[in-house]
Amino acid sequence: MATLINDAYYALLKQAVSGGDIEEALTESAELGRKFLRQETPPEEVTEIHHHALQRLAAENPDLRLVQVADRLTAPLMEIIMAYSLAFRQQLEAKYTNLMNARLAQTSRLEALGTLAAGIGHDFNTILGIINGYSEMLSDRLPDGSVEKQNAEQIIEASFRARDLIVRMLAFARQRETDPFMVDIVAIVKSALKMIQVSLPPGITVRFDTELTQVLMMADPSQIHQVVINLCMNAVDATQEWGVIDIRIRRLTETGKENSQGKRFCLEVEDSGCGMPPEVLEHVFDPFFTTKPPGKGSGLGLSVVYGIVSELQGDIDIQSRVGKGTTFSLSFPYEEQTGPSTACC
Amino acid sequence: MAHILVMEDDAQFRQMLVQMLQQDGHHVDATADGAEGMNLLRQTNPDLIVTDILMPNMDGVEAMLALSQEQRNIPIIAISGGRRSISSSFNLESAALLGARETLAKPFSRNDLRNAIERVLK
Repeated sequence: MATLINDAYYALLKQAVSGGDIEEALTESAELGRKFLRQETPPEEVTEIHHHALQRLAAENPDLRLVQVADRLTAPLMEIIMAYSLAFRQQLEAKYTNLMNARLAQTSRLEALGTLAAGIGHDFNTILGIINGYSEMLSDRLPDGSVEKQNAEQIIEASFRARDLIVRMLAFARQRETDPFMVDIVAIVKSALKMIQVSLPPGITVRFDTELTQVLMMADPSQIHQVVINLCMNAVDATQEWGVIDIRIRRLTETGKENSQGKRFCLEVEDSGCGMPPEVLEHVFDPFFTTKPPGKGSGLGLSVVYGIVSELQGDIDIQSRVGKGTTFSLSFPYEEQTGPSTACC
Repeated sequence: MAHILVMEDDAQFRQMLVQMLQQDGHHVDATADGAEGMNLLRQTNPDLIVTDILMPNMDGVEAMLALSQEQRNIPIIAISGGRRSISSSFNLESAALLGARETLAKPFSRNDLRNAIERVLK
């Protein structure tokens, strides 16, 4: 495709320089410009294509005089480049506006679901209480070891599983009781990783690296724990049998962000797993959305991560390539320690 | 065994609680809201109240305030479907602050209820 476009540009240039109809060449160049836009070719790259075409023209036509080229091309080329830069910028702006609108729509959808979860949580737990209570009364009357008693106990166990699901939904809905205080994120991440190491499949390696020895922020430690565990378990599932999961804590040094929002750090979880196509990425935070086989995941893990990160005024960015892996980058405001540590993990 | 008043607006949950408590040998009265419950307890003076928090007419928290105004020292076990519901005034934490001796989040096990009753009546 790139070679075809290069050839097309060269042909146009040759036609314009060698005395062909300059107007006709300009009309054809508009079509070429649309091709560049479709491919999202940056103006700098177009300039490079122009240089290559000029070099080729000079090599193939040693008698061609530079003044002849300049006379015919300077003015129209300037106009074309300016028009192209403008069109390219407009296309870029439209693309980011669409992306922003899509994110806003997703946020509203998630908030609506969160409100719904909070609303039904109370009634749902009452219904579970009825199921559980009658099952226990039934179970108490059945002979020990009988199949019927075992069945009743299965119902009881299922009702408690459903209760745990409601707790997770409410956590997502930001209705869960939280108890924030100053915590050290590095220590919490280390402790969460110790837990994960125990249940790690043998072919998967987890590595941890931090630029900061201590990161202090106001948070409920169990929330940070849950974020790390949910992201890592997701990474383990994506990695399947063999691979590496890298967890990193980095200092964010973007000047603009620091000025407007104070110091921020980034917690990254990168896996070398299967990656996600755009249609999966779009729904990755939707509650109950899962690509795992039935029974393998509730589809709430990343929704909970989203809820907690939003509550802590953090941002989430995901970079994913199918077959290459996924990186979740979470950024939060933090404080640097100035006196003796009083943080808890 | 004790005389227990159950205040719970969900009919099925109320019936389940009554049955569960009766099976354990307790004498049980039951009402669907706090107002009805207050009227009944003025006549029967139960040993213990098991009350839901979120109810129509008079909710569990309002009933607890009324009990306190009438200086009735009846121990209370507060139960609720949400540890923290949408309205912050209707939660188990408020019930505990107002003097509920035990709080149970639904769904709870039969043993959780038995243990709570035993601790309260000890």
